[in-house]
Amino acid sequence: MRIITEAVAGTLESSDLLVKVSPSREKTLEIHVTSDVMKQFGTQIRRVVDDTLQGLAVTDGLIVIEDKGALDYAIRARVQAAVLRGAASKELNWEQLS
Amino acid sequence: MPAELEFYTVDAGELSQEREQIERLLRESDLGWDSRVGTFVVCREGAQLIACAGLDRDVVKCVAISPAFRGSSLSLQLGSELLKVAMERGHFHLFLFTKPENAVFFRGWGFYPLVEVQDRVTLMENSPIAIRKYCKDLQALRQPGGKIGCIVMNANPLTLGHRYLAEIAAGACDWLHVFIVREEASMFSYAERYELASQGLSNIRNITVHHGSEYIISRATFPSYFLKGKCAVDECFTAVDLLLFREYIAPALDITHRYVGTEPICQVTNKYNQDMKLWLEAANSRSPSIEVVEVPRTTWRGGPISASEVRRLLQDKSLGKIEELVPESTMNLLISRFGDKQKSEMTHGVEH
Repeated sequence: MRIITEAVAGTLESSDLLVKVSPSREKTLEIHVTSDVMKQFGTQIRRVVDDTLQGLAVTDGLIVIEDKGALDYAIRARVQAAVLRGAASKELNWEQLS
Repeated sequence: MPAELEFYTVDAGELSQEREQIERLLRESDLGWDSRVGTFVVCREGAQLIACAGLDRDVVKCVAISPAFRGSSLSLQLGSELLKVAMERGHFHLFLFTKPENAVFFRGWGFYPLVEVQDRVTLMENSPIAIRKYCKDLQALRQPGGKIGCIVMNANPLTLGHRYLAEIAAGACDWLHVFIVREEASMFSYAERYELASQGLSNIRNITVHHGSEYIISRATFPSYFLKGKCAVDECFTAVDLLLFREYIAPALDITHRYVGTEPICQVTNKYNQDMKLWLEAANSRSPSIEVVEVPRTTWRGGPISASEVRRLLQDKSLGKIEELVPESTMNLLISRFGDKQKSEMTHGVEH
Protein backbone atom coordinates (compact mmCIF):
# COMPACT_ATOMS: atom_id res chain seq x y z
CA MET A 1 0.00 0.00 0.00
CA ARG A 2 1.26 3.45 -0.87
CA ILE A 3 0.31 6.86 0.52
CA ILE A 4 -0.91 8.85 -2.46
CA THR A 5 -2.62 11.78 -0.79
CA GLU A 6 -2.31 13.81 2.40
CA ALA A 7 -4.53 12.61 5.21
CA VAL A 8 -5.01 12.98 8.95
CA ALA A 9 -6.56 10.92 11.72
CA GLY A 10 -6.93 11.52 15.43
CA THR A 11 -6.74 14.58 17.65
CA LEU A 12 -4.22 16.39 19.82
CA GLU A 13 -6.16 15.68 22.98
CA SER A 14 -4.78 13.88 25.99
CA SER A 15 -4.61 10.07 25.60
CA ASP A 16 -5.07 10.41 21.85
CA LEU A 17 -2.68 11.02 18.97
CA LEU A 18 -2.65 12.84 15.65
CA VAL A 19 -1.39 10.88 12.67
CA LYS A 20 -0.51 12.77 9.49
CA VAL A 21 0.42 10.92 6.35
CA SER A 22 1.63 12.31 3.03
CA PRO A 23 3.19 10.93 -0.15
CA SER A 24 6.94 10.36 -0.20
CA ARG A 25 8.74 11.82 -3.17
CA GLU A 26 11.67 9.46 -2.61
CA LYS A 27 9.26 6.50 -2.54
CA THR A 28 10.48 5.47 0.88
CA LEU A 29 8.72 4.90 4.16
CA GLU A 30 9.67 7.57 6.67
CA ILE A 31 8.27 7.71 10.20
CA HIS A 32 8.54 10.51 12.75
CA VAL A 33 7.13 10.12 16.23
CA THR A 34 6.90 12.89 18.82
CA SER A 35 5.32 11.99 22.13
CA ASP A 36 4.63 13.54 25.51
CA VAL A 37 5.89 10.25 26.93
CA MET A 38 8.76 9.70 24.51
CA LYS A 39 11.27 8.95 27.26
CA GLN A 40 9.17 6.29 28.93
CA PHE A 41 7.34 4.75 25.99
CA GLY A 42 9.03 5.95 22.80
CA THR A 43 10.30 2.50 21.83
CA GLN A 44 6.95 0.84 22.51
CA ILE A 45 5.02 3.48 20.52
CA ARG A 46 7.38 3.12 17.61
CA ARG A 47 6.98 -0.67 17.69
CA VAL A 48 3.18 -0.40 17.55
CA VAL A 49 3.41 2.07 14.66
CA ASP A 50 5.87 -0.11 12.74
CA ASP A 51 3.77 -3.25 13.29
CA THR A 52 0.60 -1.50 12.15
CA LEU A 53 2.25 -0.17 8.99
CA GLN A 54 3.71 -3.57 8.28
CA GLY A 55 0.31 -5.20 8.80
CA LEU A 56 -1.11 -2.87 6.14
CA ALA A 57 1.91 -3.51 3.90
CA VAL A 58 2.67 0.20 3.59
CA THR A 59 5.71 0.54 1.35
CA ASP A 60 6.08 4.28 0.98
CA GLY A 61 4.83 7.45 2.61
CA LEU A 62 5.74 10.04 5.17
CA ILE A 63 4.14 9.33 8.55
CA VAL A 64 4.25 12.05 11.22
CA ILE A 65 2.80 11.31 14.65
CA GLU A 66 2.05 13.66 17.54
CA ASP A 67 1.30 11.37 20.44
CA LYS A 68 -0.38 12.55 23.63
CA GLY A 69 0.00 9.39 25.64
CA ALA A 70 -2.36 7.14 23.69
CA LEU A 71 -2.72 3.46 24.48
CA ASP A 72 -1.55 0.87 21.97
CA TYR A 73 -4.94 0.11 20.46
CA ALA A 74 -5.66 3.82 19.95
CA ILE A 75 -2.33 4.18 18.18
CA ARG A 76 -3.12 1.22 15.97
CA ALA A 77 -6.59 2.51 15.08
CA ARG A 78 -5.43 6.05 14.29
CA VAL A 79 -2.52 4.86 12.15
CA GLN A 80 -4.82 2.53 10.25
CA ALA A 81 -7.40 5.26 9.67
CA ALA A 82 -4.83 7.77 8.43
CA VAL A 83 -3.15 5.24 6.13
CA LEU A 84 -6.42 4.03 4.62
CA ARG A 85 -7.47 7.62 3.98
CA GLY A 86 -4.06 8.51 2.55
CA ALA A 87 -3.95 5.45 0.35
CA ALA A 88 -7.44 6.37 -0.88
CA SER A 89 -8.27 2.75 -0.24
CA LYS A 90 -11.77 1.71 -1.22
CA GLU A 91 -11.64 -1.97 -0.42
CA LEU A 92 -10.98 -2.88 3.16
CA ASN A 93 -9.17 -6.06 3.97
CA TRP A 94 -10.48 -6.66 7.46
CA GLU A 95 -7.91 -9.35 8.15
CA GLN A 96 -5.12 -6.83 7.73
CA LEU A 97 -6.80 -4.52 10.20
CA SER A 98 -7.22 -6.99 13.02
CA MET B 1 -21.45 21.51 36.66
CA PRO B 2 -20.21 23.79 33.92
CA ALA B 3 -22.14 23.97 30.67
CA GLU B 4 -20.85 21.79 27.89
CA LEU B 5 -18.30 23.20 25.49
CA GLU B 6 -19.49 23.65 21.96
CA PHE B 7 -17.04 24.03 19.07
CA TYR B 8 -18.08 25.31 15.68
CA THR B 9 -16.72 27.00 12.56
CA VAL B 10 -17.79 30.35 11.11
CA ASP B 11 -16.72 32.08 7.94
CA ALA B 12 -15.40 35.54 8.76
CA GLY B 13 -17.92 37.02 6.34
CA GLU B 14 -20.82 35.44 8.20
CA LEU B 15 -19.94 36.46 11.73
CA SER B 16 -22.77 38.20 13.53
CA GLN B 17 -22.92 38.29 17.30
CA GLU B 18 -19.57 36.45 17.48
CA ARG B 19 -17.56 39.29 15.97
CA GLU B 20 -17.71 41.49 19.05
CA GLN B 21 -16.93 38.59 21.37
CA ILE B 22 -13.99 37.49 19.24
CA GLU B 23 -12.59 41.01 19.29
CA ARG B 24 -12.90 41.10 23.06
CA LEU B 25 -11.13 37.73 23.37
CA LEU B 26 -8.34 38.96 21.12
CA ARG B 27 -7.97 42.17 23.14
CA GLU B 28 -7.57 40.14 26.33
CA SER B 29 -4.63 38.42 24.65
CA ASP B 30 -3.10 41.64 23.26
CA LEU B 31 -4.10 40.65 19.74
CA GLY B 32 -5.89 42.68 17.11
CA TRP B 33 -8.60 41.80 14.63
CA ASP B 34 -7.14 40.50 11.37
CA SER B 35 -9.33 41.06 8.33
CA ARG B 36 -7.44 38.45 6.32
CA VAL B 37 -8.71 35.60 8.48
CA GLY B 38 -11.26 33.72 6.39
CA THR B 39 -12.48 31.20 8.94
CA PHE B 40 -12.79 31.12 12.70
CA VAL B 41 -13.10 28.08 14.91
CA VAL B 42 -14.79 29.22 18.10
CA CYS B 43 -15.67 27.58 21.39
CA ARG B 44 -18.71 28.50 23.38
CA GLU B 45 -19.71 27.68 26.92
CA GLY B 46 -23.38 28.50 27.12
CA ALA B 47 -23.77 32.00 25.77
CA GLN B 48 -20.16 32.93 26.34
CA LEU B 49 -17.47 32.72 23.67
CA ILE B 50 -14.36 31.46 25.45
CA ALA B 51 -11.86 30.63 22.71
CA CYS B 52 -11.16 31.31 19.05
CA ALA B 53 -8.61 30.41 16.40
CA GLY B 54 -8.46 31.86 12.88
CA LEU B 55 -7.27 30.57 9.56
CA ASP B 56 -5.95 32.78 6.76
CA ARG B 57 -5.57 30.03 4.17
CA ASP B 58 -2.45 28.16 5.37
CA VAL B 59 -1.60 30.56 8.20
CA VAL B 60 -3.04 30.15 11.69
CA LYS B 61 -3.86 33.49 13.34
CA CYS B 62 -5.87 35.11 16.09
CA VAL B 63 -5.64 32.28 18.60
CA ALA B 64 -7.04 33.39 21.95
CA ILE B 65 -8.42 31.66 25.01
CA SER B 66 -10.32 33.36 27.80
CA PRO B 67 -7.94 33.66 30.81
CA ALA B 68 -10.15 31.46 33.03
CA PHE B 69 -9.83 28.55 30.60
CA ARG B 70 -6.12 28.71 29.93
CA GLY B 71 -4.11 25.66 30.91
CA SER B 72 -7.12 23.38 30.53
CA SER B 73 -7.69 20.67 27.95
CA LEU B 74 -9.68 23.22 25.93
CA SER B 75 -6.54 24.36 24.10
CA LEU B 76 -5.86 20.95 22.59
CA GLN B 77 -9.50 20.56 21.55
CA LEU B 78 -9.34 23.95 19.87
CA GLY B 79 -6.11 22.95 18.11
CA SER B 80 -7.61 19.67 16.92
CA GLU B 81 -10.71 21.42 15.59
CA LEU B 82 -8.60 23.99 13.78
CA LEU B 83 -6.39 21.36 12.15
CA LYS B 84 -9.48 19.48 11.03
CA VAL B 85 -10.98 22.58 9.43
CA ALA B 86 -7.65 23.47 7.76
CA MET B 87 -7.40 19.95 6.37
CA GLU B 88 -10.98 20.07 5.04
CA ARG B 89 -10.03 23.23 3.21
CA GLY B 90 -7.00 21.61 1.66
CA HIS B 91 -4.33 23.14 3.90
CA PHE B 92 -2.11 20.36 5.18
CA HIS B 93 1.07 22.37 5.71
CA LEU B 94 0.38 25.21 8.14
CA PHE B 95 2.33 28.14 9.53
CA LEU B 96 1.80 30.43 12.47
CA PHE B 97 3.35 33.48 14.06
CA THR B 98 3.43 33.87 17.80
CA LYS B 99 5.34 35.58 20.56
CA PRO B 100 8.43 33.54 21.42
CA GLU B 101 7.14 32.86 24.95
CA ASN B 102 4.03 31.17 23.48
CA ALA B 103 5.96 28.84 21.19
CA VAL B 104 5.82 26.09 23.80
CA PHE B 105 2.00 26.32 23.81
CA PHE B 106 1.86 25.65 20.08
CA ARG B 107 4.29 22.76 20.40
CA GLY B 108 1.25 21.04 21.92
CA TRP B 109 -0.56 21.62 18.62
CA GLY B 110 2.20 19.88 16.68
CA PHE B 111 3.91 23.10 15.54
CA TYR B 112 7.70 23.43 15.49
CA PRO B 113 9.72 26.68 15.55
CA LEU B 114 11.47 27.72 12.34
CA VAL B 115 12.96 31.09 13.26
CA GLU B 116 12.78 33.44 16.20
CA VAL B 117 13.22 37.20 16.09
CA GLN B 118 14.42 37.73 19.62
CA ASP B 119 11.71 39.02 21.98
CA ARG B 120 9.42 39.73 19.04
CA VAL B 121 8.04 36.84 17.05
CA THR B 122 8.52 33.15 16.28
CA LEU B 123 7.48 31.51 13.03
CA MET B 124 6.36 27.90 13.40
CA GLU B 125 5.17 25.18 11.00
CA ASN B 126 3.15 22.06 11.72
CA SER B 127 5.84 19.60 10.74
CA PRO B 128 9.00 18.48 12.50
CA ILE B 129 10.73 17.70 9.20
CA ALA B 130 9.34 19.78 6.32
CA ILE B 131 12.08 22.42 6.36
CA ARG B 132 14.79 19.77 6.73
CA LYS B 133 13.45 17.88 3.71
CA TYR B 134 13.28 21.10 1.73
CA CYS B 135 16.91 21.96 2.54
CA LYS B 136 18.00 18.44 1.66
CA ASP B 137 16.43 18.88 -1.78
CA LEU B 138 18.29 22.17 -2.18
CA GLN B 139 21.59 20.61 -1.11
CA ALA B 140 21.39 18.30 -4.10
CA LEU B 141 21.61 21.44 -6.28
CA ARG B 142 24.75 22.82 -4.63
CA GLN B 143 27.48 24.13 -6.90
CA PRO B 144 31.21 24.30 -6.17
CA GLY B 145 32.94 27.61 -5.50
CA GLY B 146 33.85 30.00 -2.72
CA LYS B 147 31.60 32.84 -3.78
CA ILE B 148 28.01 31.79 -4.32
CA GLY B 149 25.40 34.45 -5.07
CA CYS B 150 21.64 34.49 -4.79
CA ILE B 151 18.82 36.67 -6.08
CA VAL B 152 15.18 36.35 -5.06
CA MET B 153 12.88 37.91 -7.62
CA ASN B 154 9.18 38.09 -8.35
CA ALA B 155 9.91 38.85 -12.03
CA ASN B 156 6.40 40.07 -12.81
CA PRO B 157 7.39 39.89 -15.66
CA LEU B 158 11.14 39.42 -16.26
CA THR B 159 12.72 42.60 -17.65
CA LEU B 160 16.15 43.56 -18.91
CA GLY B 161 16.60 45.04 -15.42
CA HIS B 162 16.37 41.57 -13.87
CA ARG B 163 18.72 40.20 -16.51
CA TYR B 164 21.22 42.98 -15.91
CA LEU B 165 21.22 42.31 -12.17
CA ALA B 166 21.65 38.57 -12.76
CA GLU B 167 24.52 39.16 -15.21
CA ILE B 168 26.35 41.41 -12.75
CA ALA B 169 25.86 38.90 -9.94
CA ALA B 170 26.80 35.87 -12.02
CA GLY B 171 29.89 37.70 -13.30
CA ALA B 172 31.06 38.35 -9.75
CA CYS B 173 30.34 34.86 -8.39
CA ASP B 174 31.30 31.25 -9.04
CA TRP B 175 27.62 30.39 -9.25
CA LEU B 176 24.32 32.25 -9.04
CA HIS B 177 21.10 30.82 -7.60
CA VAL B 178 17.92 32.66 -8.59
CA PHE B 179 14.62 32.00 -6.80
CA ILE B 180 11.31 33.03 -8.32
CA VAL B 181 8.69 34.04 -5.75
CA ARG B 182 6.06 31.32 -5.87
CA GLU B 183 3.04 33.11 -4.44
CA GLU B 184 0.20 33.73 -6.88
CA ALA B 185 -0.43 37.39 -6.10
CA SER B 186 0.83 39.03 -9.26
CA MET B 187 -0.37 40.08 -12.70
CA PHE B 188 1.50 37.14 -14.23
CA SER B 189 1.00 33.62 -12.95
CA TYR B 190 3.81 31.79 -11.22
CA ALA B 191 4.11 29.38 -14.15
CA GLU B 192 4.52 32.29 -16.57
CA ARG B 193 6.99 34.16 -14.36
CA TYR B 194 9.10 31.05 -13.83
CA GLU B 195 9.10 30.16 -17.51
CA LEU B 196 10.04 33.69 -18.58
CA ALA B 197 12.86 33.84 -16.03
CA SER B 198 14.22 30.47 -17.16
CA GLN B 199 14.20 31.56 -20.80
CA GLY B 200 15.25 35.16 -20.27
CA LEU B 201 18.26 34.23 -18.11
CA SER B 202 19.36 31.22 -20.15
CA ASN B 203 22.20 33.29 -21.67
CA ILE B 204 23.99 33.12 -18.31
CA ARG B 205 26.24 30.09 -17.99
CA ASN B 206 26.67 29.77 -14.21
CA ILE B 207 23.10 30.08 -13.04
CA THR B 208 20.32 27.92 -11.59
CA VAL B 209 16.76 29.24 -11.71
CA HIS B 210 14.96 27.64 -8.75
CA HIS B 211 11.30 27.25 -8.01
CA GLY B 212 10.21 29.42 -5.11
CA SER B 213 8.63 27.94 -2.01
CA GLU B 214 6.60 28.91 1.02
CA TYR B 215 9.92 29.54 2.78
CA ILE B 216 10.93 32.44 0.50
CA ILE B 217 8.83 35.62 0.40
CA SER B 218 5.52 33.83 0.70
CA ARG B 219 2.25 34.85 2.25
CA ALA B 220 3.26 32.70 5.20
CA THR B 221 6.69 34.17 5.82
CA PHE B 222 6.17 37.72 4.61
CA PRO B 223 2.49 38.70 4.40
CA SER B 224 2.98 42.43 3.94
CA TYR B 225 4.96 41.96 0.72
CA PHE B 226 1.67 41.06 -0.98
CA LEU B 227 -0.25 43.99 0.47
CA LYS B 228 1.74 46.77 -1.07
CA GLY B 229 0.39 50.20 -0.38
CA LYS B 230 -2.10 48.90 2.13
CA CYS B 231 -0.03 48.76 5.25
CA ALA B 232 3.33 49.70 6.62
CA VAL B 233 5.94 47.00 6.26
CA ASP B 234 6.21 45.21 9.52
CA GLU B 235 9.84 44.82 10.42
CA CYS B 236 9.11 41.52 12.15
CA PHE B 237 8.01 39.95 8.90
CA THR B 238 11.03 41.01 6.88
CA ALA B 239 13.14 39.72 9.75
CA VAL B 240 11.39 36.33 9.72
CA ASP B 241 11.75 35.99 5.97
CA LEU B 242 15.40 37.03 5.96
CA LEU B 243 16.35 34.85 8.93
CA LEU B 244 14.75 31.87 7.20
CA PHE B 245 16.96 32.62 4.23
CA ARG B 246 20.08 33.03 6.34
CA GLU B 247 19.55 30.02 8.59
CA TYR B 248 18.15 27.44 6.17
CA ILE B 249 18.33 28.31 2.48
CA ALA B 250 21.76 29.95 2.34
CA PRO B 251 23.53 27.14 4.24
CA ALA B 252 21.83 24.51 2.05
CA LEU B 253 23.34 26.06 -1.09
CA ASP B 254 26.49 27.56 0.48
CA ILE B 255 25.27 31.03 -0.48
CA THR B 256 27.66 33.77 0.58
CA HIS B 257 26.22 36.84 -1.18
CA ARG B 258 22.74 38.12 -1.81
CA TYR B 259 22.24 40.52 -4.72
CA VAL B 260 19.51 43.06 -5.01
CA GLY B 261 18.69 45.98 -7.30
CA THR B 262 18.35 49.43 -5.79
CA GLU B 263 14.71 50.30 -5.37
CA PRO B 264 13.80 53.88 -6.20
CA ILE B 265 10.03 53.39 -6.58
CA CYS B 266 8.39 50.78 -4.38
CA GLN B 267 8.50 51.54 -0.66
CA VAL B 268 7.92 47.98 0.49
CA THR B 269 10.73 46.62 -1.66
CA ASN B 270 13.04 49.46 -0.62
CA LYS B 271 12.39 48.73 3.05
CA TYR B 272 13.04 45.05 2.39
CA ASN B 273 16.40 45.92 0.82
CA GLN B 274 17.38 48.00 3.84
CA ASP B 275 16.30 45.27 6.25
CA MET B 276 18.40 42.79 4.31
CA LYS B 277 21.57 44.44 5.49
CA LEU B 278 20.38 44.25 9.07
CA TRP B 279 19.14 40.66 9.18
CA LEU B 280 21.49 38.98 6.71
CA GLU B 281 24.66 40.78 7.75
CA ALA B 282 24.54 42.51 11.11
CA ALA B 283 22.00 40.75 13.34
CA ASN B 284 22.89 37.95 15.71
CA SER B 285 22.18 34.56 14.22
CA ARG B 286 23.36 30.99 14.53
CA SER B 287 24.36 31.18 10.87
CA PRO B 288 27.22 33.17 9.33
CA SER B 289 26.62 36.59 7.77
CA ILE B 290 25.64 36.89 4.14
CA GLU B 291 26.99 39.88 2.29
CA VAL B 292 24.30 42.03 0.72
CA VAL B 293 25.29 43.65 -2.58
CA GLU B 294 23.06 46.43 -3.84
CA VAL B 295 23.42 46.96 -7.59
CA PRO B 296 22.21 50.25 -9.07
CA ARG B 297 19.32 49.67 -11.44
CA THR B 298 20.02 49.73 -15.10
CA THR B 299 18.24 52.55 -16.90
CA TRP B 300 16.74 53.16 -20.31
CA ARG B 301 16.33 56.70 -21.60
CA GLY B 302 16.92 58.11 -18.15
CA GLY B 303 14.40 56.02 -16.21
CA PRO B 304 15.06 52.85 -14.22
CA ILE B 305 13.88 49.63 -15.86
CA SER B 306 11.37 47.94 -13.62
CA ALA B 307 8.60 45.37 -13.92
CA SER B 308 6.14 47.84 -12.45
CA GLU B 309 6.94 50.26 -15.30
CA VAL B 310 6.28 47.46 -17.78
CA ARG B 311 2.93 46.73 -16.17
CA ARG B 312 2.06 50.42 -16.25
CA LEU B 313 2.85 50.59 -19.98
CA LEU B 314 0.68 47.52 -20.51
CA GLN B 315 -2.21 49.22 -18.81
CA ASP B 316 -1.65 52.27 -21.01
CA LYS B 317 -1.70 49.87 -23.97
CA SER B 318 1.78 51.04 -25.00
CA LEU B 319 3.06 47.62 -26.00
CA GLY B 320 5.54 49.14 -28.43
CA LYS B 321 7.42 51.01 -25.71
CA ILE B 322 7.94 47.79 -23.74
CA GLU B 323 10.08 46.17 -26.41
CA GLU B 324 13.19 48.03 -25.25
CA LEU B 325 12.69 47.04 -21.61
CA VAL B 326 12.28 43.27 -21.76
CA PRO B 327 14.03 40.23 -23.26
CA GLU B 328 12.60 38.67 -26.40
CA SER B 329 10.93 35.79 -24.54
CA THR B 330 8.97 38.18 -22.32
CA MET B 331 8.01 40.30 -25.33
CA ASN B 332 6.70 37.24 -27.17
CA LEU B 333 4.45 36.37 -24.27
CA LEU B 334 3.18 39.92 -23.97
CA ILE B 335 2.38 40.05 -27.67
CA SER B 336 0.60 36.71 -27.63
CA ARG B 337 -1.41 37.70 -24.59
CA PHE B 338 -2.08 41.38 -25.09
CA GLY B 339 -1.01 42.10 -28.66
CA ASP B 340 -4.13 41.06 -30.54
CA LYS B 341 -6.42 42.75 -28.09
CA GLN B 342 -4.55 46.02 -28.34
CA LYS B 343 -4.33 45.77 -32.12
CA SER B 344 -8.02 45.02 -32.51
CA GLU B 345 -8.89 47.89 -30.21
CA MET B 346 -6.80 50.16 -32.42
CA THR B 347 -8.51 48.84 -35.54
CA HIS B 348 -11.87 49.47 -34.01
CA GLY B 349 -10.76 52.98 -33.27
CA VAL B 350 -10.00 53.55 -36.92
CA GLU B 351 -13.30 52.11 -38.07
CA HIS B 352 -15.30 54.39 -35.89
